Amino acid sequence: MRSIDARVSTLTVSLLLSVLLFSGVAMAQADEAPKEDSPLILILCLGPFLLISLGAAAFGIIWALFYPIMFLYGVIFSERNLNRRMSGLVLREGSSIEHFGKDPLSTLRGNHIVGGIKETGLVYASVVFAPSHWQLLIAWINQIFGGRIDVIHRVISVGRAEAKQRLREQAQADGWDDVLNVRIDTAEMTPASNPKGTKAVEVFAYGTGIKFG
Amino acid sequence: MVVNTETIAGKVITQNLGVVGGSTVRAKHIGKDIGALFKNIGGGELKAYTELLEESRSEAIARMVSDAAARGANAIVNVRFATSAVTAGASELFAYGTAVTVE
Repeated sequence: MRSIDARVSTLTVSLLLSVLLFSGVAMAQADEAPKEDSPLILILCLGPFLLISLGAAAFGIIWALFYPIMFLYGVIFSERNLNRRMSGLVLREGSSIEHFGKDPLSTLRGNHIVGGIKETGLVYASVVFAPSHWQLLIAWINQIFGGRIDVIHRVISVGRAEAKQRLREQAQADGWDDVLNVRIDTAEMTPASNPKGTKAVEVFAYGTGIKFG
Repeated sequence: MVVNTETIAGKVITQNLGVVGGSTVRAKHIGKDIGALFKNIGGGELKAYTELLEESRSEAIARMVSDAAARGANAIVNVRFATSAVTAGASELFAYGTAVTVE
């Protein structure tokens, strides 16, 4: 980690220094020979800025092309995907309940367990879930009237159910018999390129897996 | 042994060695980030970020465990997690617990 940080900061400093240096050279040359054109130095000076603006322009074009497509995809498929995931979750939940004999997750501390416990360890699972922009638009219209906003509520509950199911599957994969003291945390996660935009929600479930002796 | 309960069943805590913690800040490279941005418009799971958090979580836990090992503990009890969004696209993960020795 530290080496990457060092590399990035060295790169940034050297880039800034070279820009300064070349602009200094260009200014000196401009003082000496004002009539003479020097396209090479001009390119060297403007190069970094040109590259950055080119990148931004390319991103803008891609954004303009793909945003409507993804928005339409959200309009048509986001509800359907949500329903499909929910029905898939019900099936997966059923199969893991069958495997454990009951729902393995509980918020109990384990004082109720009479027999011995052979082994314990941490289990965790997480999912990052986001409503589509179409659903956000509906939610925004709903906000005008107030009351329940079912669209967002459904998205969040599917995310939470997904995290819980992944915790069950993780416990099953690690070979635990039961999961105690389950906590479910929610945090916000934002894509870097759009800091003011939509928030995605990170659901994180963790607990203590136990094996009966 | 890392658990988030206050005691470890079948074991006796003999010594309390204080709070140990580990944290990390990570981000995905810009390609995956832009992909996640477009996925966000359509809604659903953002796999790149799930992956990112999974990686940083195991790193934070590993750091916490090495902190506890440096204090001579053989177990960590009552582990908690905290997440904060320091800047957009990066996540800070903090895992903390109490280092103990058990018998």
